[in-house]
Formats: sequence, C-alpha cells, structure tokens
Amino acid sequence: MSETAPPGFRGRQVEALPVEAESPDLDEVNKTDRPWLVIVWNDPINLMSFVTFVFQKLFGYSKEKATQLMLDVHYKGRAVVSSGTRERAELDVYRLHEHGLWATMEQST
Amino acid sequence: MSAPIKRRRDGRYAVKLDPGVRAVLVTMSEQLAPVLSPHEPMTRRLFPPAYTGADDQGAEHDYRELVDDALVNYHQQAFTVVAETANAEILTESELNSWLSAVGSMRLVLGTRLDVSEDMAPPPPEDPTAPEYALYELLGQLQYLLIEVLSAELPDEGRPEGDL
Repeated sequence: MSETAPPGFRGRQVEALPVEAESPDLDEVNKTDRPWLVIVWNDPINLMSFVTFVFQKLFGYSKEKATQLMLDVHYKGRAVVSSGTRERAELDVYRLHEHGLWATMEQST
Repeated sequence: MSAPIKRRRDGRYAVKLDPGVRAVLVTMSEQLAPVLSPHEPMTRRLFPPAYTGADDQGAEHDYRELVDDALVNYHQQAFTVVAETANAEILTESELNSWLSAVGSMRLVLGTRLDVSEDMAPPPPEDPTAPEYALYELLGQLQYLLIEVLSAELPDEGRPEGDL
C-alpha cells in the first residue's frame, strides 16, 4: 500500500496557454490563478481519531493542527484542509478518498 | 493483561485478537473484494464525488475516469492483505496499515447500510439490524486500536512540508 498517485496523475499536464492570446481576458486570468480548496466534510461513520490520523499522515500536519482541523470538520461540518493548483488539489482529494474521507474541491472565490 | 496490538522492538506488531474477530475480517474481505465498484450500491460510499457544483459535472466525470480503477485496486489490495494475514500473530507496519484501511472500508459499507448517525443509540436486541450494528461497533473498536498504535509512530510536531 502506498500513497503514490494513480498512473493518470503522473502524465497530466497543465494546459498550455493559447499562443494567439495577445490581451488575455483579465477575468479569465484571475479565474485560472485562484487556488483550489480541498474540503473535508463531516460524516457520521469515520472516527475522530482516524480523521486526525489521516490529516497528520497525508499532509504532515502537527498533531495539534490536525486535531484542530478534525474538530472544525466535526463541529462546523467542513474544513479546508489544503489548497493549491487544480492538479495538486485533485491529488489531495484522491488520497483522502483512498482513506474513505468525504472530500471535495472547489475554486476559491 | 497486555494490549491486543503492540509494537515490538523490531518494529513489527504483535496482534492478539479473538479468533471470532479474525474470522469476521476474512469473511468480510472475501465478500467485499469481488464486488468493489462505484456502481455497486453496497460499496458506493468508497467512491465519493470530488466535484459537487452544478457546473462541475464534466470535471466530476473526468475525475471518475481518472481514479475509479485506482481506487478499486487500492481497496482490493487492502482486502487481499487482510484476508491473507487475518490469522497472523505478528504483522508488519505496512500490513497493519492495510488492516486499518480495510477495517475502515468495512465500517463505511456497514455504516452506510445501517444509515448510522452521530448520536444514534444501538438498536434493541430484537431489532433485525442488531447483529450488523454489533459488527459495526466491533470493527470500530478494532479500528480504534489500530489508529492508536499507528498514530504513535507519527511525529507530534508534523513534517517540515506540513505548513499550509
């Protein structure tokens, strides 16, 4: 068992910018630049200690930080656990899904 | 009385469990491994959506194409390890991680079927779901033990890259 990416992730490239774009639409640029947020949602099955364990193991967070994020998930219903490029966020969501956590991603507004 | 799961000096783990619990692990692993699929209602919970926005259906479709086979393989491998090592007295850390993964998946399958909620009271003994609920609880106790020994190996201060 490892935490490596499935084969599809490795070959995945960021789409090249179109060459003919002389004056890029600023809204589009901003949309591309906005980071993606990885969100973990509360669920009634996963144990609290397991959620903390997964945050420590996958993200290298301290026990204190992982516990705080777990408590946010438990009491607020959700927590942002990581953020970054779309590819990075998708990989994090995949690793959380391997561990059975209810994780989704959305672009920050 | 010594702990049911204990880390040895050589880094492996001594596992003392009731034979009945071990038998449950074999049975459930063998039952779930062949039916694992996002299209199978019983195991659907193991394939959560990544994108849930109204405009994200295309992205979700692409995500499923990308990961579903890998997720099936990941869970299947964990069930295979558990089926093969369920009666072992000594396990490696890697095998114990497979146990944690497989036991977690079993709880997700059972908990979804039982439609559990956080402050749910156990069903009365005469309830038809009582045996399955007891199994769900038993797996929760085992998962708790596994987390306890495995999380002891993670550094409290985290890893250097673990800053958001």
